[in-house]
Amino acid sequence: MPDIASVRPIIGLEIHVELATRRKLFADAPNPAHDEFDNADPNTLTDAVVLALPGALPVINRSAIEHSMRVGMALGCQIASVSRWDRKNYFYPDLPKGYQISQYADPVCGPGITNWPINADGSNHTVRIERAHLEEDAGKLLHELPGGGKIDFSIVDLNRAGTPLLEIVTAPDFQSAEQVVNFARFLRNVCRHLRVSHCTMQKGHIRFEPNINCELTLADGSTVRTPITEVKNLNSFRAVQGAIEYELREQPKRWAETGIAFAPGTKTTRGWNDNSMQTTLQREKEEANDYRYFPDPDLLAIEIDAEWQERVRATVKELPHVRTGRWASSYKLDDRECETLIDDPDTADLFDTAINIVGNNHAKTVANLLLQTGMKLAKERGTTAAALGVSAEHIAAIAQMRDAGDIGSGAIEPLFLASIESERGEEPRAAAERQGLIQVRDEGALRAWCRSAIDDPANAPSVADLRAGKQQAIGRLIGAIMKSSAGKADAKAAREMILEMLAE
Amino acid sequence: MGHKHPPTNDSPALLREQTHRIAHLARLELTDEQAAMYATQLSRVLAYVEQLRALDLEGVKPMLHPHDRYGEPVADDPREGLDPGVVRRLAPESEGAFIRVPKVLGGTEGGGA
Repeated sequence: MPDIASVRPIIGLEIHVELATRRKLFADAPNPAHDEFDNADPNTLTDAVVLALPGALPVINRSAIEHSMRVGMALGCQIASVSRWDRKNYFYPDLPKGYQISQYADPVCGPGITNWPINADGSNHTVRIERAHLEEDAGKLLHELPGGGKIDFSIVDLNRAGTPLLEIVTAPDFQSAEQVVNFARFLRNVCRHLRVSHCTMQKGHIRFEPNINCELTLADGSTVRTPITEVKNLNSFRAVQGAIEYELREQPKRWAETGIAFAPGTKTTRGWNDNSMQTTLQREKEEANDYRYFPDPDLLAIEIDAEWQERVRATVKELPHVRTGRWASSYKLDDRECETLIDDPDTADLFDTAINIVGNNHAKTVANLLLQTGMKLAKERGTTAAALGVSAEHIAAIAQMRDAGDIGSGAIEPLFLASIESERGEEPRAAAERQGLIQVRDEGALRAWCRSAIDDPANAPSVADLRAGKQQAIGRLIGAIMKSSAGKADAKAAREMILEMLAE
Repeated sequence: MGHKHPPTNDSPALLREQTHRIAHLARLELTDEQAAMYATQLSRVLAYVEQLRALDLEGVKPMLHPHDRYGEPVADDPREGLDPGVVRRLAPESEGAFIRVPKVLGGTEGGGA
């Protein structure tokens, strides 16, 4: 066999997103992917439809369709005017009906195209979307007891059975693990910002399944493709990256050993082991892939007319990466700041709302308030900055006071706490006055504090250093002023006045 | 879309083999006698379907549903789930709050989802 001269990765991605509707896709039972029912006990979120009791009939959830349309619109997909339901038949203990209701021929979202900045250098890369269809999730099949007890049988929790899943399928347009991971992050943010899913990775709200193979160029100039590997159920970005990199390393070796090239029937399914950082063979795909799809006789097609589409389209606002782009260019936020603020849609909204109130020229201060004090308090309380309960109006007021020099940096946390803890939230200015946090800008008082600091014999060496041009010596003098003013002096104004007085 | 008529001109041996395959997909175990019986019954069903092929359906749109109307999606309002005690009683076996099933070998969690 000729040597391999080069390897071109060919990667496509399937993404399953659990939609955070309150009801299930076809059943009245509550949906565990909604935070309201997140921690339900096993087998408490079922009903006759979920359990497939005789005579039970599925009824479609309107919100699930609309959530799917939103994601489809964000992905540039064509939205179907008529969408239908098919049965995908397979036998498994977590699937009471013996089939999954899915969409084979007429999905809600047809072909689309994205052009997002997913390259390492921040440039755009085009990824075509083949489709995005709705289906039901299965229950959970567990092979050990909760807490890890060994059992020689399996146990089933049907809470997840019937949860609406949106399956998004891309064309094989990715050329590296990095592009895939960046796309996955963007998509997670999009789904969060469209409020269609919480996308908590550890809870499996969003799961990734890359399809990976390579085109090998051989030393004699000919090319050959390796068989496609589908890696199932990855629910961390690290796993997505690891699985793709592993396959891209191993596939050329496998080809060199076995000579097996891409052909119908060669696709395999593999799982990912987070500890060994390797993929392992799960099944030869073609054997298990006879799902005998047919149209579901229990469900009518749904019509998605132009009016409904437009109503939903109006709820699809600025996408997260467009928003961070705007923040970077208009407010001069760096990548890390943007990433932190965009991570939670409520915090991102709080940021934009506060700026709308106080004005663009205070944007950097608003960002700092949220990124420093907001994130610190949120971390201590195990929540998000938005969920602390400090309103956009209060954040705007604090930013304004800070930029006007009315308060020092030490006043910010007490004002956040006053807003959170007092009943109905204490106005920041009232709280600052009550707590004596307003900086004194009375020039007479400031002049007196500066004079006594300069004249204090203990500070004479610092004064001498400062006169000799050592700027850092001013710190000791400002410290003395803050002490004698009990923190009420405006440090910036004090600095200016000292320099002015020494120059006289 | 694979809504094609299944082939109906297969030999009895081939039909028996297909019957075994479908039984395997549904995790049913059939004896050769049972497989032969179902193969005979299935071939009668398929022969009935075959009669439709005699019709000239050129230009006739496939009818996917007897009702000529669209479904009405409902509002996103859940109702409380069934009592888990009821759920467990409906299952042949249970283990604590869970439904107990035989160990599934040779498959992957989540099946075909």
